Amino acid sequence: MNQWLDDRLHLSRLNDKFLRKAFPVHHSFFLGEITLFSLIVLIITGILLALAYEPSNSLVVNSFDPGTKADPNLVPAAYHSALKINAMPFGDMLRRIHHWMANIMVAAAVIHMMRIYFTGAFKKPREINWWIGMLLLIFASLTAVTGYILPYDNYAYNTVSVIYAITKSVPWVGDWLAQAAFAGRFPGDGIIPRIYGYHIMLLPGILLALTGAHMLIMIKQKHTQPQYAKRLAYKKIVGVPLMTQQTPIMLLLALLFTGLVVLFSAFIPVHPVEYYGPPSPDPISGIKPDWYLLWVFGALAIIPGFELEVLGGVISAEFVGAMLFPGIIVGAMFAVPMLDRSKDNMYYAENPTNHPVRLAAGVAFLAMMIVLSVAGYKIELIQGGLLTSANANTILWILTIGVPAVCYAATLGIVRMIRALREADERDALAHSHADD
Amino acid sequence: MTRYKKQDPEITRRKFINVAMGTGAGVGVLSLVSALGSAKPAFRLTPEKAPPIKGDILVHAAADKEGQPIRVSELSEKGVSAWPMGKDKEGNPVIRKGEPNNQLAVYRFERDRYKVPEEGGHAHVVLELNGITADGVVAYSNKCTHAGCAVPNDPNDSTKLFCPCHSGQYDLLQGCKVIGGPPPRSMPQLPIKLENDQLVVTETFVTAPYGFLNEADWETYLEQVKEIIG
Repeated sequence: MNQWLDDRLHLSRLNDKFLRKAFPVHHSFFLGEITLFSLIVLIITGILLALAYEPSNSLVVNSFDPGTKADPNLVPAAYHSALKINAMPFGDMLRRIHHWMANIMVAAAVIHMMRIYFTGAFKKPREINWWIGMLLLIFASLTAVTGYILPYDNYAYNTVSVIYAITKSVPWVGDWLAQAAFAGRFPGDGIIPRIYGYHIMLLPGILLALTGAHMLIMIKQKHTQPQYAKRLAYKKIVGVPLMTQQTPIMLLLALLFTGLVVLFSAFIPVHPVEYYGPPSPDPISGIKPDWYLLWVFGALAIIPGFELEVLGGVISAEFVGAMLFPGIIVGAMFAVPMLDRSKDNMYYAENPTNHPVRLAAGVAFLAMMIVLSVAGYKIELIQGGLLTSANANTILWILTIGVPAVCYAATLGIVRMIRALREADERDALAHSHADD
Repeated sequence: MTRYKKQDPEITRRKFINVAMGTGAGVGVLSLVSALGSAKPAFRLTPEKAPPIKGDILVHAAADKEGQPIRVSELSEKGVSAWPMGKDKEGNPVIRKGEPNNQLAVYRFERDRYKVPEEGGHAHVVLELNGITADGVVAYSNKCTHAGCAVPNDPNDSTKLFCPCHSGQYDLLQGCKVIGGPPPRSMPQLPIKLENDQLVVTETFVTAPYGFLNEADWETYLEQVKEIIG
């Protein structure tokens, strides 16, 4: 049969070109794979959820609590179908796996990016893949945010109202943009069908296309080689081939990882739609975005209110906090490969301690993200009595600038100290070897 | 390599391809714009989506009591969710819950605790004490002017509001002026009076509610409302 297939599909060429691709042997190279496995599980669970979900915000009678004939209990169809999914055998479990996988996909992607950044793998010739990776991160967050809205409970309703507000805050075109993106003034009659379209068609399509490009470029350019490869065979590709060595490892990892996520999905509930109830006029407490957008939420919480009118457009605190500031951060991340001006292609993953400035900048950046995420808990900090309304903004701003600065200086100091010790050791070893002669 | 540049009186292939691609891209962009135009549906103002107008009464918004008129005795510092209820053209009662800004929070404090806010800061409009009933009942559009979230009471101080979204803070006793966080304007007050044991709207929101860039935009919108609703 192999011969029959090969005559038609030229499998041997595929084998030579792709299936023999060498994978470096190092655990940190599995992070990208975990991101990919999460995407696959997300698509599978997403298809199953889509089969049972009703994308509509028109009101239907809640079959679980119909009320009376004179006064029926009407809820949005999308919310009602979320209740029905929960009532399905393993329906709630399906939602949990989908939710946790989404969180883990972003987490794995972020750690994968940290690996790329700290080992300098973004350098020439891999700049394009860094940029595609950034786009993947952005579109993955957008997909997650739209997925958040679909159950259309009170929490989702409040979430989408904030996202609508952020879109609307763009000067000059914001009003048009928000109405075009969310099917009319909030809450438009077609908001759920529109967001459903984004979540199951547009955004996953973009994600899959970008993932394909990401991996094709990676196969073309080859992985960066870990340091041991340099000693083993200089400038040669070292690693295990995809077929048949890496494949069982990948399968094992995929199954183990999926199994783990399923296991804790069984114990950690997510987004209890019954608890939040259908969209209602009652205020909701403790509303927060997922952890990877908490820094934007924090920036919005500590930015003081202002409005600046420029040529008929209004530049508001909301625009600066939720669009301009994250735009600068994301722009800086996009610019990372441009900071390196080396002309030669990069083959080997670098030891982060050999590049102390890059390492320290990365640590400071992560520290700033963490402080801003903590600022997202401003209400809790004030209500818990740790800060007061009067001093919260000042203290959180000082921390936002101060903690990264301290982290930068500390990292530089520690790395320089390690290097000094290492060099002293080398000198020592050298001195002793001379004595032996 | 060649010494003579080839003279071609006709259009060259390269030129043709460039023009064709340019035209194709232009048509593509135009059609995309027209497609995006259809992505934004037209807004039709219905009585349900109109802002509260003079003569509307305040009714409960909570699911179990929706549509029942609010009594003064039911009110306290904790705040009660309400909708304005008016009439459509045929005179049928209609709860104006199609517009999120119409979601009201009604509070009751002793009347002499209210203060006229000093000018400056975010207090754009001086609280008009006549928007408060003799019993000290006051109504606000319960949408944060920052991002449109419903704002609950500050658990530590019932005279303040604390928005769960981006921690905007408002002072209920000073015309809901902003006392912390990012909101640009005070929460819009809805002037009301007590008539036959019902809370009746005397005038629409005194300042622009969430979603309007400035007072001028709000005024323009009110003009449109007047034309359509009458």
